[in-house]
Amino acid sequence: MSFFGLNSRGPQDHGHPAQAPGFGAAPDPFANISQNQGLGQEDNDAIDFDDTYDGLGDQLQEADDDFNDDTFGGGGITTKSVGKDFDFYGSTSKVTDAINEEALRYNHHQPSSKAIVASSSPSKHASKAFKTGYEAYKNPGYIPDLQVDASLWGTGPPQIAEDYGAKRSSRGAGPSYPQSSSGVPAKKMMSLEEVEAAMRSQPKRPSPSLAPQQQAQASGPFAMPPMQQQAPQVAPPQQAQISYPQQMPPSRHETEQAARPGDFAQAPISIQQRPQSDHHVVRASQVLKVELPARSSPATQAPQVAPAPAQILQRGQNAPHQAPDAQASPQPRQILQNPNRQSAQFAPRPPEQALPMQPQRRAPPSGQNGAQVSVPIIYHPSQIMHLSDEERNAYLVEEAKRAKRNHKIFLLSKGNGLMTPQDKNFITRIQLQQLMTATGNANEQDPDASLSEDFYYQVYNQIENRPRQNPQQPLSNFAQTYLFRTGGRQGGMGKRQRGGDSHMQRMEQQVQRAVEAAKAKPKNKQLVIEGSLGKISFSNAKTPKPLLNIKRHDSSNVSNQQSSKRAQVALSTTDRKAILKNIEAVYSTLMRMEDHDRRLPPPPPEDSDPTAVQKVMDWQQAFQDLNENLWRDLKVTEPILPDSAILHPFIAFLSYPKGKKAIPRIFNHIDENQRLTILTMIMVHLDILDVIRQAQPGAQPSPLSREQVDLFLQAVMPSLFSYVTEAPLNIVIGLLGLVTERVNLSAVARTRVGLEVLTMLLSRAAIVKATEATDDQTWDEWLGIYNRFFDLLEPLLGEVFPASVNAGQDQYVWQFLAATGSGANPEQQQRLVLAVKDRVMETLQQSKTLPPEMAFQRRGNVNLFMQAIGLDVDLLDG
Amino acid sequence: MLFFSFFKTLVDHEVTVELKNDISIKGVLKSVDQFLNIKLDDIQVVEELKYPHLSSVKNVFIRGSVVRYVHLPSAAVDVALLEDATRRGTWNSEMG
Repeated sequence: MSFFGLNSRGPQDHGHPAQAPGFGAAPDPFANISQNQGLGQEDNDAIDFDDTYDGLGDQLQEADDDFNDDTFGGGGITTKSVGKDFDFYGSTSKVTDAINEEALRYNHHQPSSKAIVASSSPSKHASKAFKTGYEAYKNPGYIPDLQVDASLWGTGPPQIAEDYGAKRSSRGAGPSYPQSSSGVPAKKMMSLEEVEAAMRSQPKRPSPSLAPQQQAQASGPFAMPPMQQQAPQVAPPQQAQISYPQQMPPSRHETEQAARPGDFAQAPISIQQRPQSDHHVVRASQVLKVELPARSSPATQAPQVAPAPAQILQRGQNAPHQAPDAQASPQPRQILQNPNRQSAQFAPRPPEQALPMQPQRRAPPSGQNGAQVSVPIIYHPSQIMHLSDEERNAYLVEEAKRAKRNHKIFLLSKGNGLMTPQDKNFITRIQLQQLMTATGNANEQDPDASLSEDFYYQVYNQIENRPRQNPQQPLSNFAQTYLFRTGGRQGGMGKRQRGGDSHMQRMEQQVQRAVEAAKAKPKNKQLVIEGSLGKISFSNAKTPKPLLNIKRHDSSNVSNQQSSKRAQVALSTTDRKAILKNIEAVYSTLMRMEDHDRRLPPPPPEDSDPTAVQKVMDWQQAFQDLNENLWRDLKVTEPILPDSAILHPFIAFLSYPKGKKAIPRIFNHIDENQRLTILTMIMVHLDILDVIRQAQPGAQPSPLSREQVDLFLQAVMPSLFSYVTEAPLNIVIGLLGLVTERVNLSAVARTRVGLEVLTMLLSRAAIVKATEATDDQTWDEWLGIYNRFFDLLEPLLGEVFPASVNAGQDQYVWQFLAATGSGANPEQQQRLVLAVKDRVMETLQQSKTLPPEMAFQRRGNVNLFMQAIGLDVDLLDG
Repeated sequence: MLFFSFFKTLVDHEVTVELKNDISIKGVLKSVDQFLNIKLDDIQVVEELKYPHLSSVKNVFIRGSVVRYVHLPSAAVDVALLEDATRRGTWNSEMG
């Protein structure tokens, strides 16, 4: 049976908790919380600091703490000012030297406050001592000796506790001390008397009763986990012996402690803990040598400390023999278990501070203070146990929150200062560079390049008339704008920012250089590292890494030639694919022409230099070339093969929505003759246009063909109409002549598109007659054509109306009739009226049953025709 | 760049983004970048009952690579222009 009672149990149960921080590790403020949650409630009870801490730490705070600020820095020591991240070992160890010095100086300068010095400074030494002592654990191969730390078990820890407890009263599940857990773990609320009684009873059954202590210590922050973890590896007897190292020569120990004033009484003890193995002894004495000069600035103290090493050595040798002694003597264990008593005996304390009840008596006032706030301010852990459950819970919740926040801050601040300003600038540069390459080259002089990159967005915004920068300004200026704006802001901040200013300039230059370099770099899209099987392909936003790499076997030129050759052949068969290709070619040329329009140079002034004139000439030449291209692509001038089963390429072109949509744009870029040619071509093929062929009233028109008709009326007709409205009469005569001679008028007259085209021609003639002076010969010519047309039309008049009267979709028919009537002679007008009389009466009749608005519209339609022949609907009503 | 260019014009329009994990998110397009990462505001998951964990999310940033479809507001798309832009895209790829 070992003193620690560890043999029978797994080390993981009683050793240093795996998740708890070691001495060297930075303390995790969360550790206690999670630990408490993770462990059973029983464990919690057993080690609950609140229940067991005797609150001796308060005693020191009560009085003679005038110089605490000097010692510990800062103003009022409250939970808030101190903070909750008990980074004691982590942070403090870094400044241990400084603290030691501080303490030394404090001791030196304040000999009068011996009491404080005696109790507070040793704790520092102790803390330092076991900090340095466990540095060896950083060495993975190191197996520590299992010496009990005197400063923990003896007078050390309580003083630490006093110290820390006072300073860091916020430690919720604070340190639990050996004496604290002497009772049965399940027994939660023990009075001090009970605790004491339990402790007194302990000597009778030393080992078993001490085991729980171990447990308790293991859970507490001040536990000696490394030692305990190692414990099972060591033979039990030895363990037992080394458990009492400082007690081996009890009387001597006592006298030492008693004799030495202040902190020096503690120094040897803290050193004594360590030495067991030989090398360690050496190390310890070294430490001692180092520590002593530093600590004992009063030179006279040195001799008093001197015996310590000898003692260490002696103990190291004698240890095995002394074990029985140690167990036999109850006194040391009492010291061990109740160090406060011990120190009360030794230390020259004010009597009232020695009273264990002190903190309890003191608690209520502070509790009252705290009651003013919702959550009482806890200056000392012992206060917690005097709070009501509610308050305590609130306090603990608050604590958990704070700890959480601090933990978060701690986690967040991990990366603080990781990057230097230079690093950040570097990143910024990379990002800017990315931006430049992503949005286009800022140095690109050709706005078209960026336009083609970002065509949709730019043109869309132009069309939508959104507030934006000059359309000629490429978007790639964004990157530059960004740079300039930043630079401008720097400049605006004042000239004292010279450094930053030049820095920004440098950055701009650098970015520009980088972009230049990227431009100059050969466009090697792949990198094949020698000896490697794979290829590394570069990609950026502009040219993303191709997921599919399909190689074209022909160069684009060859394929173009081939396809054009094929197109020649295919067109004769009106191959759908060939026609679509044609249309695409037209579009392509159209867009080039539109681009070309944007590059129109300003007209050179009279006395301009030849280069400007040359520019205009070049532009015109290029325009001409493009125009020829377009004309060729349109294939309007392909020979018309009468009675051929093959659709003329241009009519085929028009049969596709894309082709129809292209017409307005084509009309913008061709001259009058070309327009007339197109118009003529349409007139000649009027009856075989898809919009007429597929829209015959007999067959139910498919939604698709209806769409086509609508599209034709929207896209093609306006262009034709705009041409015809300015055409001279002889052209109108020619076009009408084509219709009457070459086109199946019955097919045309029964469709909307056909009627509208005819309306267009007839109305133009009527307008020419009304507004322009025409020579008689031309007019006679027109009348001749018209008469022939009318004769052809008359038998069809019954069929021009679509559907029934009720549909109400006959406005265009009335317009056509009006146009026809306006050009007719009285005899023709009579024939016209006779032909459509029934429809007129039906429509008027029907309009009377309709709501006023619709009725008005219908009557208006009819009236349009009636008025054209000099009548009025009202006459019929009357 | 065509898609980037195109989506830029849809900023402040309501779109529905269908992700590759079948979640459809409707929201106002706030921004899009060259990778077609999408930022949506005032979002609403189309099948809210199926994805309750998203019901309290107000805005999202969607990595472009996880987008399956973007349902466009047809009124905000200029088809003819888009066709032309597509043709230009073809030019560029042919030339580049």
